[in-house]
Amino acid sequence: MFTNNPFAALTDFLPASAMQVYIVLMALAVVAGTLFDVAHKGSAKFFARRRQESEARAQRRLSGGATVSLALETIAEAAVSGEFCKWPRRISHLLMMYGFLLYAITTVAMVFAYPAGALLPTLWTLGALMILVGGLWFFFFLRVNVAYDGASPFHLGRADLFVGSLIVSVAFALLWHYRLATAGHAPSTWVLFGIYIFFTTLLFVSVPWSKFAHMFFKPAVAFQRRVEEANGSSDLPSPAVENHIVRS
Amino acid sequence: MPTYTDMTRCDGCGDCVDICPSDIMHIDPVYRRSYNIEPNFCWECYSCVKACQQHAIDVRGYADFAPLGHKVRVLREPEKGSISWKIRYRDGRLKEFTFPIRTTPWGSIKAAQDYEKPDLSGLGSQHLAHEPEALHIAALPTIKKKA
Repeated sequence: MFTNNPFAALTDFLPASAMQVYIVLMALAVVAGTLFDVAHKGSAKFFARRRQESEARAQRRLSGGATVSLALETIAEAAVSGEFCKWPRRISHLLMMYGFLLYAITTVAMVFAYPAGALLPTLWTLGALMILVGGLWFFFFLRVNVAYDGASPFHLGRADLFVGSLIVSVAFALLWHYRLATAGHAPSTWVLFGIYIFFTTLLFVSVPWSKFAHMFFKPAVAFQRRVEEANGSSDLPSPAVENHIVRS
Repeated sequence: MPTYTDMTRCDGCGDCVDICPSDIMHIDPVYRRSYNIEPNFCWECYSCVKACQQHAIDVRGYADFAPLGHKVRVLREPEKGSISWKIRYRDGRLKEFTFPIRTTPWGSIKAAQDYEKPDLSGLGSQHLAHEPEALHIAALPTIKKKA
């Protein structure tokens, strides 16, 4: 059931070019939203000023090789969500991150190429399930305002715009796929498809107001932090020389 | 010197919210990062500073010793039992201090109920429960009376 390309069945009613244009528009919405976010919040100015201050305070210059090495270390840390200090949040984030990548890449491949075979639809379903498991775990149990600040697990706020629209989008993608496989193009299938498209659109066009752009900002900050530690301009104190743990 | 959160470092783990005795560390509803909702009520106990594993909580120094443009940063190293402070004045001068904060491994302190129940005969002793072994000494020092 989940081994068929759901977008192939849509071509009976929607031209393939319409779906491809929609995906391009969503990609452009992310780019435009991120640029607007950078300009509106002054993030670019903040990073530029921080870099200038870091360079002015630097105690040593980094070579090109050292900078590349720091960039690779940053990528390696981001790939395993190493910035999280607690393992449940780390696992949840890894499930959502790799689930989203799998889901997005297979969606593009299935819409633009319509390849035969069960591999891509299976990976698409697997990606959606990974997002759902990691996302629902995070939403109901790991959200810090729920776990530590006394908010209800059903509390919704602006901070939930990204994760909420992502969870609902993939949930209705799976429901639509299931309904399409079992009932064909019944009216209920189109209702599920409409909800799926609405929340998918919301996910990508709400970038200036949601946390979507964190996937671009966080690695930039992590890289700058590594550069500051390496060139001696970090504001953090030097590690202590003496070990004061003398008893068990 | 009340505390504030550097949002580019905070990962929203909630440890500071959990530990703040004044209940003034809360979660920002837009960015889901911690923030000090009322710096005037900060006791300056620095529990949040020491608990933060991301070194994301800084201290806003008082203007009399660190005028505007300064930085006061903290590095907690539980594996070494120390906490270090670095003050960068606005004229570029730096001062660094390291303080021991404990001598036993992090998380090793036992709660009272984790110890064996004391013997009732100990009521007649001047020792407190589990002394002197809990103090890691052979015997409590005594004052020698002159004959």
